Amino acid sequence: MYRYDEFDAAFVAERVEQFSDQVRRRIAGELTEDQFRPLRLMNGLYLQLHAYMLRVAIPYGTLSARQMRMLAHVARTYDRGYGHFTTRQNIQFNWPKLRDVPEILADLASVEMHAIQTSGNCVRNVTVDQFAGAAADEIIDPRPVAEIIRQWSSLHPEFLHLPRKFKIAMTGAPNDRAAVKFHDIGLMAQANRSGEVGWAVYVGGGLGRTPMVGKLINGFVPHEHLLAYLESILRVYNRYGRRDNKFKARIKILVHEEGLENIKGQVEEEFAHIRGGILTLPEEELDRIGAYFAPPEFEDKGVVRIDVEREKILDPAYGRFLSNNTFPHAQPGYTAITVSLKPIGGVPGDATAEQMEAVADLAQTYGFGEIRVTHEQNLVLPHVALADLRAVYDGLAAAGLAEANAGEVTDMIACPGLDYCALANARSIPIAQDISRRFAQPERAGEIGKLKIKISGCINACGHHHAGHIGILGVEKKGTELYQITVGGDGTENAAIGRILGPGFVADEVPDAIERLVDAYIVRRESADEPFIDAYRRLGDGPFKEALYGNG
Amino acid sequence: MKILTGNELLSGAAVYLDAGGRWGGEVQRARVFGAEDGDALEAAMGESVASGRIISIEPETIELRDGAIYPLRIRERIRAEGPSAPRLNRQTLAEDDHVSI
Repeated sequence: MYRYDEFDAAFVAERVEQFSDQVRRRIAGELTEDQFRPLRLMNGLYLQLHAYMLRVAIPYGTLSARQMRMLAHVARTYDRGYGHFTTRQNIQFNWPKLRDVPEILADLASVEMHAIQTSGNCVRNVTVDQFAGAAADEIIDPRPVAEIIRQWSSLHPEFLHLPRKFKIAMTGAPNDRAAVKFHDIGLMAQANRSGEVGWAVYVGGGLGRTPMVGKLINGFVPHEHLLAYLESILRVYNRYGRRDNKFKARIKILVHEEGLENIKGQVEEEFAHIRGGILTLPEEELDRIGAYFAPPEFEDKGVVRIDVEREKILDPAYGRFLSNNTFPHAQPGYTAITVSLKPIGGVPGDATAEQMEAVADLAQTYGFGEIRVTHEQNLVLPHVALADLRAVYDGLAAAGLAEANAGEVTDMIACPGLDYCALANARSIPIAQDISRRFAQPERAGEIGKLKIKISGCINACGHHHAGHIGILGVEKKGTELYQITVGGDGTENAAIGRILGPGFVADEVPDAIERLVDAYIVRRESADEPFIDAYRRLGDGPFKEALYGNG
Repeated sequence: MKILTGNELLSGAAVYLDAGGRWGGEVQRARVFGAEDGDALEAAMGESVASGRIISIEPETIELRDGAIYPLRIRERIRAEGPSAPRLNRQTLAEDDHVSI
């Protein structure tokens, strides 16, 4: 993993000291709230419905066991014993007190973590495929480049006051697990005809009130020029992005209104000026950063064969875990494990301090100390030997973390919604809980297969509802929470925005509505191997609209 | 009818202005401002902002149901009661977190 150099350590320490003084002055009455608010937001401290919320950055979703233990310490010492992992691969604490925040940030700094640029109109945490550096289908590990982007975008003086926030996502594999086409910039690793690896650059994707699929602006940017190309895009956006209307300020609106070719022309013109300049990445620097992300020293533990079908008979829960929660690893004899934070009836993305410590211990003992956070609000142990699988499973089960539902109907994304969020219009968590309980039977979930349900409590779409195979958007109408249902969204390389099929439902009606959609799919699918999203694409809206609203 | 609500500076807790000019965590103790109390409401808001200890101050529309204060927005009802799923206690005020204006 990347380790801070002197510059990183100094700037984080200085920021902690600076914010400590700002908090002191605010409490002493030397700063007004109008003066203090932008300062606290620059340090990830929001005010929500019931309390402050501290959002801590987890760069490219990569954590060490030591860092995870510190998150557990923060949860236990300063909060209510739990944290909430988010779709930005970050963690949020919902109950910190203002006086404690400087101490929390100092504790985080001691393990090379911070909350800088987790708010505001700047470049936010770069997110990547959770299986980066482990996935069998990977062209390249994107994390060294993600780290370089982190260094370039941290406190970048030109880009700290953009028209609006700016999110970059990356995948090193052709199978997109990072929803890159729904980000301001999405990067997908590509190999050119000479076998050189570079990046396809998508621009202007996003969710929110105006969902857009990112558009390909450049099919191949070599590593060495990537920063210059990103700077060119940011510069054009910073110059022409709308600052007169918050709702039209994201780059997706600029690209949509001006047209891709126009924006591309301006970016290329800017790129022509700065290409080959100080932002050129020397190979040796890439190698230096890359060394921090070198694969661990895998051991040859002999041939391990796991008969999943046999395990399903002997121990059905473990068998399902093997089927759903393991992912093919590039290294023979190893696998990557998804640790589901979606227990039946639980809060998606929440983990207690004890669970964080259990994951840290398992990572330490069996996984080279590495942990990942997924944008689908789960955790990952990226490098586990097949020989250790059972021990890891048993450890997870003891911590209440062995739900074998990765990728299934109960593995939902849900934003905090109106139970916490000051922007929300409706609750998300109870809707997720009700759906989870409805599909709690493993046989039923297994019959349905891969199905992604995503729930947002407002149009800002933190719960990625537009990208859900089934999306649920909460709105408030005349004092009642109503839920609009969309079908056909997709966050993968085949990115698509879900379509609204009709009027919304009150909360109590939502599980039945979802069940009707699921039943319509099962009846009409060509075989059990045809996933929901493929069936929807083949069948169109008709059967699903009928399932929701009848054929009247 | 309206009540005044905000968040206490140190804890961030949702608080309400009561009839005694004191900010506390009980919505049912909130002072109810009628249509004729506009000036009093404005004055209370101004004094509260000036105290520096209550932030994000907003008037909130309510009605009285069987004598109890009932905020019309779902958001405010959840704010008054705490997270619903799972049900968690509201943020607590320390003794020195109560603010008088």
